[in-house]
Formats: sequence, structure tokens, C-alpha cells
Amino acid sequence: MNDKKNNIILEEYEDEFSYKKSKTNLNIEFNRIAFIFFVFLIISIIYSIQLLHLGSVKKKVNNIKPLIIKKNYRADIVDRNGNYLVKTVSSIDIGINPIEVIDKKKLLINLKLIFPNKDYIKISKKLEKNKYFYLEKKITADNYEKIMMLGDKSIKSEEKLTRIYPQKNLFSHIIGQIDDDNKGISGLEKSFDKKLKKIKEPLKLTVDTDIQFLIREELIKFHSIFRSKGSTAILMNVNNGDIISMVSYPDFDLNKRETVNDVNFINRATKGVYELGSVFKTFTVAAGLEEGLIKTDTEFLNLEKRLKCGKNIISEYDKKIPSDLTVEQILIRSGNIGSVRIGQKLEIEKLKLFLEKIGVLSKIDFDIEEVGEPIPFRWGKCKLATVSFGHGITTTPLQLAKGYAIITNGGFEIKPSLVQKKLEDNQKQKRIIKKGVSKQINEILRKIVTTKEGTAGFANIRGFEVGGKTGTAEKAIVGGYTRKAKVNTFASIFPTSKPKYVMVVLLDEPKTSKDYIYKYKNKIGSYKGTPFNTAGWTSVEVAGKIIEKIGPILATKYIEN
Amino acid sequence: MRKVIFATIIILILATSLVKNSTKELEDKIFMVNENIRPLKSELGDVLLEFNYLSSPDKLTKYQSQYFEKDLIKIDITKIKKLTKKNNHINVSDFIEKTKDE
Repeated sequence: MNDKKNNIILEEYEDEFSYKKSKTNLNIEFNRIAFIFFVFLIISIIYSIQLLHLGSVKKKVNNIKPLIIKKNYRADIVDRNGNYLVKTVSSIDIGINPIEVIDKKKLLINLKLIFPNKDYIKISKKLEKNKYFYLEKKITADNYEKIMMLGDKSIKSEEKLTRIYPQKNLFSHIIGQIDDDNKGISGLEKSFDKKLKKIKEPLKLTVDTDIQFLIREELIKFHSIFRSKGSTAILMNVNNGDIISMVSYPDFDLNKRETVNDVNFINRATKGVYELGSVFKTFTVAAGLEEGLIKTDTEFLNLEKRLKCGKNIISEYDKKIPSDLTVEQILIRSGNIGSVRIGQKLEIEKLKLFLEKIGVLSKIDFDIEEVGEPIPFRWGKCKLATVSFGHGITTTPLQLAKGYAIITNGGFEIKPSLVQKKLEDNQKQKRIIKKGVSKQINEILRKIVTTKEGTAGFANIRGFEVGGKTGTAEKAIVGGYTRKAKVNTFASIFPTSKPKYVMVVLLDEPKTSKDYIYKYKNKIGSYKGTPFNTAGWTSVEVAGKIIEKIGPILATKYIEN
Repeated sequence: MRKVIFATIIILILATSLVKNSTKELEDKIFMVNENIRPLKSELGDVLLEFNYLSSPDKLTKYQSQYFEKDLIKIDITKIKKLTKKNNHINVSDFIEKTKDE
């Protein structure tokens, strides 16, 4: 009985199952119709969209084209105020393929009408040679239209790129040159070659055209007064390393595209490696203050007038210099023996470490590749003595400017730069010298300019609080030094109460002038002729004149700095 | 329920096609504007180059000596004054404050 009941239940279950099955079949049929409609709808919508936008799709292809064309593209270069320093312009050169000329006589007559001043005997000879030649390079728009109107198949036009330098000589060492294949061969054109071919916006530099012009003018003026072999000046922001001006004279006109082989045309600011003399004494004193071994009022008593170290004799330049001097007086009076004593107190390791820290001993990492490498030397007792007063040690004027910037800006690391950095890069500041060293150094540098004993009185320009240190060095020759050839340097900062700028002026082998009239800054009166071939009478005067000219512009134009 | 879903999908597709259509039209307009700007930019560059050349310090100095009788003079920074406005009253002060050692 129980089995029978069970069977009935199974049947009922089967019925239920068959009912469900039929219900599902109905559903599939409905979905099929809806699905077909849906697919048709989607296809028709997609098709309608494609139809509507077929035109715009075509235009998009056109849009890409002009970007591919410029194979020879090279970005422009502008100064910090957006003035063009280099601009790429496309020009057209006209060439003639003599093989394709049908009527030579007719062609020559037509060409004579367009270019009446050309030598047609030469052109006629070239036509006979059956070799392709250029008739006119960088043709004007008018002449191009006229020559194309001739409709001669032998006349070929070639579009080329030309780099125009509206400031001519002003930035020759900074910008550098490119070759005929659009490849940078010197200066920023070389070091930023890839970037210039890639970027769409102009490359913005930190330099200021007006300031650069004024500084170059002064260097040229004093080049003839002091008959120097060459000269250089660097003006840099002490807080972020932005180079506002960097002039090396003699220079050359970039538009002429000349091959410069004369060594005298090197970039003295970055490539020239010099023994710079007493400007290094500031580093010795700063190192002593940094190590806490001396204070500005620390006295050095019974200083000798002459010192013998190995074969070398170290003596004072100023014969009237007292035997008892404080650290401050040693720097103001530029005492050699006093500097040696400070160096000896520091010992080799500490002085070496300090000079390495401020970046004067090794090759500098800079925006252009033309940088000199300071000559390496072996440290010893005598070397320590000579390095303390800036002899037997070499560096570039750019590295000197960097060193002065660090020791006067509060002790913060900076990286000299010609190309404008991003804002956040400028704000990163790493202290590498103890707080307080700069303040003491700046006060002494100011006294070198303002006091009677100081060596840089001619740079005391009213309103700018100039401070600085002079350096007169004899040039090294085989087996020693020559008194005939000197390198006179003045490393200055202004304003000393809160330094903003460092300026280095270097004159390479200047001579004295008989006729130049100096106007005293710290007393009334003037002096005719250069009595001594020292930095105090040459490069300081140049720096003073430069600051007098550029100072008001810097103070008003860059007021936000 | 299914009808609602279908209707929503169709409305969304239609809305997308309409939005896309108007976006394409805007893109076309932007393209046209950009194409018109390109030659203007090039022209501006050339004019600026000419301006930079003619107004370069070197040129200006030459023009100055050519057309003016008086020479350019250096500005004495101590003679530059600073004007500040306070309560409708203008104060005149020195641009550079004199330091003790001057």
C-alpha cells in the first residue's frame, strides 16, 4: 500500500516537472524575439553613430599629420623674461639641377630679372658642369614667389631650419652651436640636444639679457683699459644658484657659424682653471669658524714676515702688515702668514673636507659640458700652507662663485644653474655649514670694502652694501711663477646684511693703465694711473662699475627675490 | 521589470550616442580653433623675434646715440623713492635704507 502511495507522488512530481518545462519553453521564445530586436537596435545605433561622425573621424587623422612633419624640429631658447635668445625659423634654399634645364639662355635671362646682382658668368659655368648647385640660400618670400612663377622644372626648393640668435655675441658661450644635421656641438645646444628636439615650449634660462649686456659692456671697456688677455664675470643668486649673467670675453657671433679654434675664446667662467690667490683665504677662515677652532677676534701673535717651506718662501705682500693680528684683520689685510697659521690649526683633513664640501676641489656638475677640472694635487705640510692663502690650488670661477654663495647664504647647499628649475627644486635647502658662520664672514667681507686697511675700497658703491675679497695670483709657468702674467679676481656679495647675489670678476693677464682715473669711494678725490697690478686696482674697479650699473635694476626688477 | 531594464538600456544607449555626437562636434570645433591658432602662433613668434632684435640692449644703445643728444645716465639708487598709500595719504620714503657703514 505504502509502495502505491509512493508511485502517485512520483506521478504528481512528474506532472509538475512537465508543466515547468513547458513554461520555460515559452520564455525562451519571448527572449529570442527581444534579443533579435535588441541586436538589430544596437547595430543600427552603432551604424548611425559611425555615419554621423564619419567626417570627424577623417579630420582626426588630418590632425595628427602636422605633428609628424617636423623631423628637424628644435625648440627655441628664451631668457628669464621670455626674450628670445635663440629662435628656429624655417627658410627656403633654391637650387638648380642643370640636367633638367631645357633652355639655358632663357633661364639665365629670367634669373637676371629676379636676382640682378648675381654673377651670371659663374652661374653659367655651373650650369655647364651639370652638377646640382644652390642658387640662393634663405630666399625672401617675394623672390620665392617670382622664381616659382617661372615654372622651370630644374629649379628646386628645399625647406631648411635656421637658428637665429638676435642677441648675437651676448650668450655665445652659454648657448653654443649646432651643426648642419641639427645636432648640438657646444654649450646648452649640446647638453640639452635631446630635450630641445623633444619639448614643445621654449627652454627658459635663468639669465637676464639686459644685465648680461651691461656686464659685457663693462668687461669690453676695461678689456681695452687694462689690456687683458681675456676676462669673465659671473652673477649668481646666492640662495638658489640661478645664474643671472655669465660673460666670458672675448666671445663670438653665433649667427656667423664660425669654427672657433683659438684657445683664447674658451669659456673662462666654466672651462678656465686658475690659481686664484687670496680669494681662498675666506674659505680658510670659514673652515676655521666652522670647526670652532677660531673666532673672528682670535689673536695670532708674533707672526713672521717670511716662512720657508721646502724650497718655497712664503712672505707677505703688504710689508707694513703688523705682526699681531686677529682673524678678522688677517682677512681684511689679506695676510699670507696669518692664513697659513689658521690652515695649520685646521690641519689637512679639516681644510680638505671643507673645500670638498663647498665644491671647489672636484669637477662641477653643470648645465653645459664645457667645464674645467681643478688640477689634482698631493696634500702635505707645504701644500696645506700654500692652499691656506690660495696658492698651489686651482679651480674655475664658477666654482669660486658657488663656494662664496654657500659660505655667505647661511651655509646652504646650492647648485649653479643656467636653466630654470621647478619651484619645488628651488625650495629644497640643505644646510652644509653651521649656522652663524655666514654672518661672521659677511661682516668681514663688508669691512674689506669699507675700511682703510681693506683691499677692495673701489667696490664700495653707495646703497648696495658690497662685500668681497680680492685675489691676485701670479700665473704658473714651468718651474715656478711669472710676475709678468697675473690673474686678478674679486669675489663679491651684496647686500652683505642679507646676501642675494654673488659676483665674481676675473681679469686674465691685465696690465696697468697710465691714463685711467680712479675715483675713491671711501674718501674724496681721484687718482690717475694704476699704481699696482693687483686685484684691488683692477678687478675691484671693474666690479664696482658693474654693480653701479646693474644694482638699481637688480634692486627694483627682482624686488620679490 | 524586464521591460524597464530594456527601456533603460535603450535610453542609455540613445543618450550616449547623443552626448558622443555633441562631444564630437565640440572636438571638431576645438580642432578648427587649434588649426587657426597654429599660423597665428608662428606669426607671433616671428614678430616677437623681430621685436626682441630691434629692442635688444645693443640696438637701443645704438639708436640712443644716433637719435638723442644726451647720454644715458646711471640711476643713483639712493635717489629712488618708495611711495606707499595709507588712509588716502601717500608717504614718500627712501627705496634703500642707509646702513651704518655708509
